[in-house]
Amino acid sequence: MIFHPAIIALLLSSILMSFLMTYSSYFGVLIFRKWDLRNGSELQLAMERRTYLISTVLTYIFAFQILSFFLYIYTADRLHSLFVGAMCAAGTLQVNPYGYPALLLKIFNCLLAGTWLILNHTDNQAFDYPLIRKKYVFLLLMAPLLLTETFLQGAYFLNLKPNIITSCCGSLFSIGENALASEITGLPPQPTMFAFYLSTGASLAAGVYSLLKNRGAYLFAILSMATFLISIVSILSFISLYFYELPTHHCPFCILQQEYGYVGYPLYAALFGSGITGIGVGILAPFRNTQSLARTLPALQRKLTFFSLVSSLIFAALVTWRILFSDFILL
Amino acid sequence: MIELKNIHKIFNQGQPNEFAAVQEVTLEIEPEKVTVFKGPSGSGKTTLLSLIGCMARPTSGRIFLSGREITSLPERFLTEIRRKTFGFIFQQLNLIKGITVLENIMLPAYPNGEKFSAVKNRAMRLLEVLELTPKANSKIEWLSGGEAQRTAVARALINNPAVIIADEPTAHLDTKLSMELVGTLAKFKEDQKMVLIASHDPLVYESKIVDRVIHLRDGKIEGPPT
Repeated sequence: MIFHPAIIALLLSSILMSFLMTYSSYFGVLIFRKWDLRNGSELQLAMERRTYLISTVLTYIFAFQILSFFLYIYTADRLHSLFVGAMCAAGTLQVNPYGYPALLLKIFNCLLAGTWLILNHTDNQAFDYPLIRKKYVFLLLMAPLLLTETFLQGAYFLNLKPNIITSCCGSLFSIGENALASEITGLPPQPTMFAFYLSTGASLAAGVYSLLKNRGAYLFAILSMATFLISIVSILSFISLYFYELPTHHCPFCILQQEYGYVGYPLYAALFGSGITGIGVGILAPFRNTQSLARTLPALQRKLTFFSLVSSLIFAALVTWRILFSDFILL
Repeated sequence: MIELKNIHKIFNQGQPNEFAAVQEVTLEIEPEKVTVFKGPSGSGKTTLLSLIGCMARPTSGRIFLSGREITSLPERFLTEIRRKTFGFIFQQLNLIKGITVLENIMLPAYPNGEKFSAVKNRAMRLLEVLELTPKANSKIEWLSGGEAQRTAVARALINNPAVIIADEPTAHLDTKLSMELVGTLAKFKEDQKMVLIASHDPLVYESKIVDRVIHLRDGKIEGPPT
């Protein structure tokens, strides 16, 4: 089973990523301890040259990390036909105890990777490496999480036993004691929908205010994060119901299938795009007074805010379109 | 003002063929003056000029350009400085064959994104000053040695740099052409440009236009400047 091309790609890339993360972490410790731009020593100059290479390699690695989230759920979805009982990725991920922890860690690492990419891009805009220590400390914090993800993902794929009878998403994402996230799927749709539109509206308003007044970055970032979490809860609670036109089907994975026009991919891409860039706006806010970033950072924050707003609007538009034009009546 | 602080440049470091091209060079170079780096072949003249001109990075040490430290700059900032501050006249000229004199001169200005007509006008003025106007549309391979040399000079000036770096500019020229080149360098000085020359040609370093001669040997500065 591990000879599936997508599994090979995921395993090899995660091993490569872990190797590079380990090396970069060593380099990060060196930077944290020894970096001094006023010093013209051989070590300092070597670090200046090497950080260029390492951050370029990491940019590609983290870009793939974000894509690998989609590849992981795509792979899990593709494999469902091999397991008795599985109807989509939900069942495949339930085959062994590593599938869902790996998925959750992938989601979290995806957000971290996006944030690191924003930090790195910002650092590269200045001539004096103003964020170098911060981005490598961030990297050091990410390293154990990425290594754990490699382990969990590897353990998941290496322990796929085709003779296991798994559960279908209908039973996994339902309202019951043995179901996954039953407390979320069991949330009443009306207040959840209200919370979804309220948080989306609030983050859109905060984003527009931030674009117009050039302030309010922290508020926008917090609201973006809250909207991201509420949106995930909403997918499980009521959004999925409108896509499937079934009052009991809460699966977040079936929307990735052809039957539903692969709508899950743009939906999740917009959700993550909005979340990552929204958080990025707040992450960069403390550096607005950094002299070498004074000219470029506000423009960059505006770009991120705009991207986050557009992504958020796409997500909200897809959901609203389905609620308005589906034959399903929930409320 | 260009300031070099304890510059070292070591090639193939840690390898059996490790070579220290520049060692312990600490130096201040004044603006609007002509400075010649003199020394035998392999003394580190070209390497030092490449380091000053941001074409290579030192192994250790720092270089300051008008008070701004430039050795730590990320590549894209360094490119900007290289493009706008320095004009290079190479020993081998490095003109591009197959295209015209005018196109060769205009080439370093293309990345700046200026209007084509503005760059062309500037190039035509330089051709006029260097008496190359009739050769504007000639291909490089049709030029004589002196014409090629003057084309290289015009190309170095296209972005109006504050510093001209010339590496062995008379290496392939006869006496008459060498004297012509020295005359051109004198014009740069009149235009208040800093001129840095690597040369072991007495016609250059004994010329009246030269303000300072720095002796290099085995990558190190030898004795006091003259």
